[in-house]
Amino acid sequence: MPEQDKSEEKTRLIKAYTAIVLSRTLDNKIVVSQRQGRVGFYTPTIGQEALQVGASMALQDKDLIYGYYRDVPLMLHRGVPMENIINQIMGNREDSALGRQMPSHYCDKKRNFMSVQSPVATNLPLAVGSAYTQKYRKTNSIVLTTFGEGSTSAPDFHAALNLAAVYNLPVIFLCENNGWAISMPVEKQTLAEIWTKASAYGMRGVRANGNDLLETYEVTREAVKRAREGKGPTLIDAVSFRMGPHSTSDDPTKYRDVIVEEGSDKDPVIITEKLLKSKGYIDDKFIESIKTRAEKIVNDKFEECAKIPAADPSSAFTGVYKESSWMLDEEVKDLL
Amino acid sequence: MTEMNMVQAINNGLDLALKLDDSVILLGEDIGINGGVFRVTEGLQKKYGEDRVMDTPLVELGIVGMAIGMALTGLKPVPEIQFQDFIYTAMDQIINQAAKMRFRSNGDYTVPMVLRTPYGGGVKGGLYHSQSGEAYFAHTAGLTVVTPSGPYDAKGLLLSAIDYEDPVIFLEPKRLYRSIKEEVKDGEYKVPLRKASVVREGDDLTAITYGSMVPTVKNTFEKHKVNGDIIDLRTLVPMDIGTVIQSVEKTGRVVIIHEAPRTGGFGAEISASITERALESLLAPILRVTGPDSPFPYKMEDYYIPDDRRIMKAVNKLLEFR
Repeated sequence: MPEQDKSEEKTRLIKAYTAIVLSRTLDNKIVVSQRQGRVGFYTPTIGQEALQVGASMALQDKDLIYGYYRDVPLMLHRGVPMENIINQIMGNREDSALGRQMPSHYCDKKRNFMSVQSPVATNLPLAVGSAYTQKYRKTNSIVLTTFGEGSTSAPDFHAALNLAAVYNLPVIFLCENNGWAISMPVEKQTLAEIWTKASAYGMRGVRANGNDLLETYEVTREAVKRAREGKGPTLIDAVSFRMGPHSTSDDPTKYRDVIVEEGSDKDPVIITEKLLKSKGYIDDKFIESIKTRAEKIVNDKFEECAKIPAADPSSAFTGVYKESSWMLDEEVKDLL
Repeated sequence: MTEMNMVQAINNGLDLALKLDDSVILLGEDIGINGGVFRVTEGLQKKYGEDRVMDTPLVELGIVGMAIGMALTGLKPVPEIQFQDFIYTAMDQIINQAAKMRFRSNGDYTVPMVLRTPYGGGVKGGLYHSQSGEAYFAHTAGLTVVTPSGPYDAKGLLLSAIDYEDPVIFLEPKRLYRSIKEEVKDGEYKVPLRKASVVREGDDLTAITYGSMVPTVKNTFEKHKVNGDIIDLRTLVPMDIGTVIQSVEKTGRVVIIHEAPRTGGFGAEISASITERALESLLAPILRVTGPDSPFPYKMEDYYIPDDRRIMKAVNKLLEFR
């Protein structure tokens, strides 16, 4: 590799690794804070960092993302300020949705990160519609949508893939295959490999090792290139492992014995460290300093956000329509 | 001015919207080359191309989901669901995505979509081509539910809905598609959303209705010389309560007519809203004339849909009440 390429790769990979570490640190902080009663709820991302950051590396700022409720690493890599994520989880007055949505339901219009819903897979048809707009308006932007493998059983998944293929749209379906739909292991959800489902719709489907940052990046980059060139959609099956519970309300010891310990050889943070070390981009000292810095950043941001008060109660009942309705106005008057 | 039926008036409105604004996109099953099963979109694909009048695969949740995604990125989609009876697989998209988007993003993202769909019985469509599901939509905050009762209003309400910045469920009474003709303005005009229309005036009682039942109530009142107000709500949610209460305060007697089943129907909402605001004006209990709480039958549809006889029974009961 020529020197300049190598230097660019180093910058890119260190940025990616930093996002992974920040995300892991934030994840742990929020889970602990939930146990302390400082946060209501959270869907941890632990185990899915490398695949999300790998995919994010292949995107441009103008591209649209229809994510789901487990996408903190992707958001951080994309440049969503950490305080936006924490404010959302706290539901305070700085939260872009003013605390209306439960934690993990992010939205960041400035970074083209669309508003997240709970019902899984319902974001996929929206991504297809937005991809239609890009094609119709010839923007050369593409749309990426993320979802767990649990979503692939839902009707919206099949509808969206079929429509994306039929209209040959610039959209990438990134399946964050973490092996579990809450308590249901992937082997019991479907008898087919996720990536093979694309072929039923005449679409390209590929599998990537989601714990391998570079592999996910390369696979996504190829899909992005094809989408931008008008060669249509791709389904990516990025295989990783949900190291944590489904949510802070879930106890995985009830349904699984398989565990991937943090810091073990199967942990994507460790795998990414090995990758960067093997390339000579980082060493143990760098790792230690970046983790120490991440701890401080996360703790400081968290405490800053914790000081921000809740939004005015009336804000929870406005903004339903552009022009409010008399019914709602009357009801709100009664309850406040 | 041209004499048109409702199919022609809606077609004319869509044609105009497509012509005026290239962000307007129609999508649905069989709406392109076939012009829609009711011919509402006849000729539009030929005129505006396949990328603006899109034939879609047979997937209601996909049609609505795609339309929402278009709306979120600056287009003004007008999806068609072939029969309202088939909309239920798309309810997740309608209720959990379209209706909640503005609220959950605090206005960062909005869904200016007009979802058109024919509803109601009277065309021998049986259980699955006859339903009146307006109450399902009316119960969802964030939706605006509109239903025209004639060609002139249909075009004017449609053009208002396309300009509206929130999702509109535009329910087209299929029984009236070709049964009424009216003079319709050729160019652009709007009939405002959220405003009811008093289609007949009188002093003895107030009939409140909408969509498919409006012509039936009008004909009944004319035939039997009933001296009453007839209010066509036009927009169910948010309802024009001002117009309703003004009339109730004048007459003190109210009958509500809709084709949908009674239990949990929109008539219950109208009735409750009136008693909360104008109980002292009421001279008689509020009566409802509705479809029964049974699925819509194929053979006996004339018994199902409220008719002259049932409306007059309620009118007489109201007038006799002391």
